[in-house]
Amino acid sequence: MIRMYHVHKRYGEISALRDINLRVAKGEFCYITGPSGAGKSTLLKLLYGAEQPSEGKMLVGGVDVSRLPPRRLPAMRRNMGIVFQDFKLIPSRNVGENVGLALEVIGTPREVIDRRVAAVLAIVGLRGRGGEYPRTLSGGEQQRVAVARAIVNDPSIVLADEPTGNLDGAMAIEVMEILQSINLRGTTVLVATHDAGLMERFPFRRLRFEHGKLVQS
Amino acid sequence: MHSLRHIVRRAIRSLWEHLYLNVMATLVIGAALLLIGVYLTVQYNLNAIVDSWDRDVHLSAYFHEDVGLERRFALRDQFAQRREVATVRYVSEADARAWLMERVPDIEPVLVELGDNALPASLELTLVSTEASPEAIAAFAAELQGPDFETIDYGQEWVERFNTFLSLLQLLGAVLGSLIGVAALFLVANTVHLIVYNRRAELEVQKLVGATATYITAPFLIEGATHGLLGSVVAALGLWAVHRGLVVRLQEALQLGLAGELSFLPASYLLMLFVFGLTLGVVASAMSVRRFLVQAP
Repeated sequence: MIRMYHVHKRYGEISALRDINLRVAKGEFCYITGPSGAGKSTLLKLLYGAEQPSEGKMLVGGVDVSRLPPRRLPAMRRNMGIVFQDFKLIPSRNVGENVGLALEVIGTPREVIDRRVAAVLAIVGLRGRGGEYPRTLSGGEQQRVAVARAIVNDPSIVLADEPTGNLDGAMAIEVMEILQSINLRGTTVLVATHDAGLMERFPFRRLRFEHGKLVQS
Repeated sequence: MHSLRHIVRRAIRSLWEHLYLNVMATLVIGAALLLIGVYLTVQYNLNAIVDSWDRDVHLSAYFHEDVGLERRFALRDQFAQRREVATVRYVSEADARAWLMERVPDIEPVLVELGDNALPASLELTLVSTEASPEAIAAFAAELQGPDFETIDYGQEWVERFNTFLSLLQLLGAVLGSLIGVAALFLVANTVHLIVYNRRAELEVQKLVGATATYITAPFLIEGATHGLLGSVVAALGLWAVHRGLVVRLQEALQLGLAGELSFLPASYLLMLFVFGLTLGVVASAMSVRRFLVQAP
């Protein structure tokens, strides 16, 4: 699913990632871990095309994303779900509209959107909550909405950047259980985290980064 | 088709959710178009005046006081026979006095002070348009010079000067119009940029879930077109109000019969204003969203 060959990412004089060679199989669950500033978020940004590598080649789902022209970026992202630490929900839209956004942008008919949204809200434990607004939800519920949005168009890969970073223990476990269930349906899941306890509780492959280098895979 | 529906729905929703900023953008376009419209109205009317002067070349030949009434009528009949003269009319001292008093009632005490013959009698001649070249008029006026007439007054030289002034006005208008257009473009672009800034979280998420640049930009173009069209309506209403309130009063105050009817902008000019407003709104919106799309992840 993901292949990286001698990938470097530099910001001026600073090297955020150094000579990364990596392979993640389809349907795998991986943690991207390491201390702050190790390059975890940079790696995810490269994967979802927000940044391009300074050097090297990377393939996501067979697509070379290292030199992807901007006009091809939307098509790549439609096959990808992204979850952020700060949820990135739209406050002026209700839960259903936030989740349905990923389908709306590809021109899905309204009735199909409504059906899919109801289904994924059920998966993340928010059945019947589509009409509520993000500000009325707890942090854990907001993150579950973000996860629902990430999976609503049935992507082959989900990238989560510190998805439990803003959540307390119980809520973090709930979110991890959802990500695990998504993985069990065959979706590749990459979670950037430095929460050792969570990694102990949900043991999967760890890709450990330090100072921009992959030190354990 | 479904995308189009989503896009239109989002545009309408954004227009409503950011009502204050949308009203501001509309008013900025309206103000810019109003300024341009005022200039166009002035220019249109000046052009119409010059055209009417060019069409009806008019000479006033003022009699010496001592020319008798018989001679005056003889001269009138003589000129009426000339092929280059379209109309000739004798205006007596009393007619001239009545004409002036009708238009400037306050002047009566002055005329009383000056006596009955304060205004000379004249022949008012209109030349046929085919004979109205500046050279032909000058030759005709020279022919009138003689013992019978004190002054020959024809406005051709003035018309030419006025034409030069009008050309300068057109140049000035083009420069001012361009400056107003560019200023409005940046003002509207910055106002729309505030709307984009307010919605940046939503647009960023749209980009992250795979929205194309067209999908993100299209609602803003619809909003921009709405600003432009509504701004044009505001400008047209403003122009109409200015025309009714100011120009008509000005015309009443200066009823000297020189300017004729001061007209409102014709439909073709209004259409031009609408097209310009529409373009302004769409281009300003496109500029603002483009700036965001380049910066967003």
